[in-house]
Amino acid sequence: MTSYQLDDDGVVVIIGSGAGGGTLANELAQRGIEVVLLEAGKHLTADDFVNDEWGGYEMLSWLDKRTSSGTWRVAKDHPLTPSWSCQVVGGTTTHWSACCYRFIEDELRARTVYGEVPGTSLIDWPITLADLDPYYDLAEAKMGVTRTNGLPGLPANNNFKVMYAGAKALGLNVSTGRHAINSVPYDGRPATIQDGFTITGDKTGSRWSTLNVEIPRGLATGKLELRSSARAVQIEHDGAGKASAVVYVDAAGVTHRQKARAVVLAGNCVESSRLLLHSKSGRFPDGLANGYGHVGRHYLRHLIQTVWSVFDKPVHMHRGEIMGGMIDDFVRHDPARGFAGGYYIEMNSMGLPTTAAFMDPGWWGRDFASVIEQYANMAGIFMSGEDMPQAGNRVTLTDEVDAYGVPVANIHYDDHPNDLKMRVHGYKTLTSIHKAAGAKRSVEAPAYPASHNLGSNRMSARPEDGVLDGNARAWEVPNLFIADGSNFATGGACNPTLTIVALAIRQADFIAGQMSAGEL
Amino acid sequence: MSAITAHKDPKLPPAVQLPEGPDWVNSLTLFDAHVAETLVAVVRTLYPHEGLPERVYRRTVFQFDTMAAKAPGAAQTFAELIDLLDGATSLPFIELTESYRVRALKGIEESTAFRLVQRSAVRFLYDDIEVWQAFGYEGASVQLGGYVNRGFNDLDWLPDPPPGV
Ligand SMILES: Cc1cc2nc3c(=O)[nH]c(=O)nc-3n(C[C@H](O)[C@H](O)[C@H](O)COP(=O)(O)OP(=O)(O)OC[C@H]3O[C@@H](n4cnc5c(N)ncnc54)[C@H](O)[C@@H]3O)c2cc1C
Repeated sequence: MTSYQLDDDGVVVIIGSGAGGGTLANELAQRGIEVVLLEAGKHLTADDFVNDEWGGYEMLSWLDKRTSSGTWRVAKDHPLTPSWSCQVVGGTTTHWSACCYRFIEDELRARTVYGEVPGTSLIDWPITLADLDPYYDLAEAKMGVTRTNGLPGLPANNNFKVMYAGAKALGLNVSTGRHAINSVPYDGRPATIQDGFTITGDKTGSRWSTLNVEIPRGLATGKLELRSSARAVQIEHDGAGKASAVVYVDAAGVTHRQKARAVVLAGNCVESSRLLLHSKSGRFPDGLANGYGHVGRHYLRHLIQTVWSVFDKPVHMHRGEIMGGMIDDFVRHDPARGFAGGYYIEMNSMGLPTTAAFMDPGWWGRDFASVIEQYANMAGIFMSGEDMPQAGNRVTLTDEVDAYGVPVANIHYDDHPNDLKMRVHGYKTLTSIHKAAGAKRSVEAPAYPASHNLGSNRMSARPEDGVLDGNARAWEVPNLFIADGSNFATGGACNPTLTIVALAIRQADFIAGQMSAGEL
Repeated sequence: MSAITAHKDPKLPPAVQLPEGPDWVNSLTLFDAHVAETLVAVVRTLYPHEGLPERVYRRTVFQFDTMAAKAPGAAQTFAELIDLLDGATSLPFIELTESYRVRALKGIEESTAFRLVQRSAVRFLYDDIEVWQAFGYEGASVQLGGYVNRGFNDLDWLPDPPPGV
């Protein structure tokens, strides 16, 4: 086991071992760079995981208190858990359902293509699709994304048969989509057994995660040290304004200070913004890298919603991979629809416990009972669409502190009129697909806690528009980077993880290049 | 209902067995019989499934009791709910018929106490294996090899999509 000294200032310290941090740790280690990976959660294995929705949720999730405000319905339905991510080695890649789509070129030029949208803080990305494409290729290969690199798509399951029948009747372009889940054995991982429990850890390891792929490979290089149950509480800087150390608390409650050559934040959106805001100093009075006031702002969470429909006959949607279906007819920006941006339609399934909990929180009585009783005959269909960045949608610190002395984060989110238009368009489309397949009744489920957390420390072409440059390096702190989804300049429509991974590989190239050039 | 068999993950504790009949309340740590029976009536009114036996609702209230025994704040909130509901009309909630029970619950929908009980009812009632069995949810499957050979694509009332779609 590699182990570095706390006063070793030659190591890159990464905070968070999820999609961004876990990938970057391995990529740097593969390039011979010494890395300390701090992860707040425990190091669980496949054997610890359970095939149980609430059991898995409670085992994996980030359950520390947060608060919420704003007009989004999440603030009413889930006031203390507005954002959904994990606290475990592997981060939310232990929980994700592995849909893997690429941004399209227009989405990286959102401000230019959509034009001025009042009330938004839209910008273009500081990088183009041509910059990203080679890294998408690498990401898809390492993750084993279906329908890339000759890998077959996931087979159609029951829920997909419903989606397919409806979509075909409406003339839409439908397939089982692309997933980092093995349809056939690949890269030492087995094919899926269709157990339906990808999101409670994945006991068989057919789905890519940083827990089962990136971190073990990084550890095998001898360059990476993983410290689990290590909660970062502060980032320190030196007299020159460079990040110099990370203060963290271990499982026994003991505080340590790990020196660093460079620091990378990858705690998932909310936690990364929170740590920056909390890491105040005389030089950075409003928080680290926050001179222009963008840390925590422009928070995005995608327009996510599900339609659950009841049919005359059994569907058994819980059988098999949960999101194996995709329609891409509404992805491109089309001003004729009356709103900016686009959305993916995907399949969705949940077990009875979480279908009941998320279908319409707060709904009770005979009507609800009559729907949920027909669980066996239910199918689910879902959308992920681009939400508009707004400066006031943001992560801030409250007056309440947690057990580690760090202020609890509040997430404020007001819906933009564009969001409402897209949501209505989406519900109509989702419902019409199920109706075309014979649905008796469709229920419009609202967004659940934010699972796609993006944008709160965004990249920008100019320092005055964001927190990070095009390599997700802080404009104001030259050896401070962000590797999680908070670095997105805008959200695009698709599920974000493939892009987070591609950006992390690209960032590893950049960091390695800077180091060998003596710049870092 | 379809012929399925529900399974809890073998690593998790099995469902609690409560005595049939009024003695079930002796299994509780905190709630007395009035609180417990009122809560059973509340959960039944919130989620009225004619086909489900009383023991399912009792197990949900057993979970409430476990929560309350662990967290004094929750215990306090359950007590508040009982007070609100018993004070809503001149009869105790448990004596009311369904339409009055619904009205009493609607009247306190905005309260913290209602919210805790309603959310907790969903959380525990639909996590009960007997409810899974009744509504056609099979639960844990990895110990049986998943559904790859056990019906993940057995829906036969719609045409099969072309292979490879
Ligand atoms: C149910 C669900 C389904 C999803 N399905 C998909 C999907 O199909 N496709 C897709 O693209 N995306 C999906 N996502 C989203 C995806 O999981 C996330 O976008 C992705 O994992 C985010 O990566 P990240 O690196 O930003 O953070 P994470 O993967 O969340 O990792 C952050 C890590 O940082 C750690 N951390 C945070 N703060 C600290 C600290 N102070 N000290 C130490 N460690 C810390 C956390 O414990 C965590 O392990 C899904 C999410 C959920 C919840």
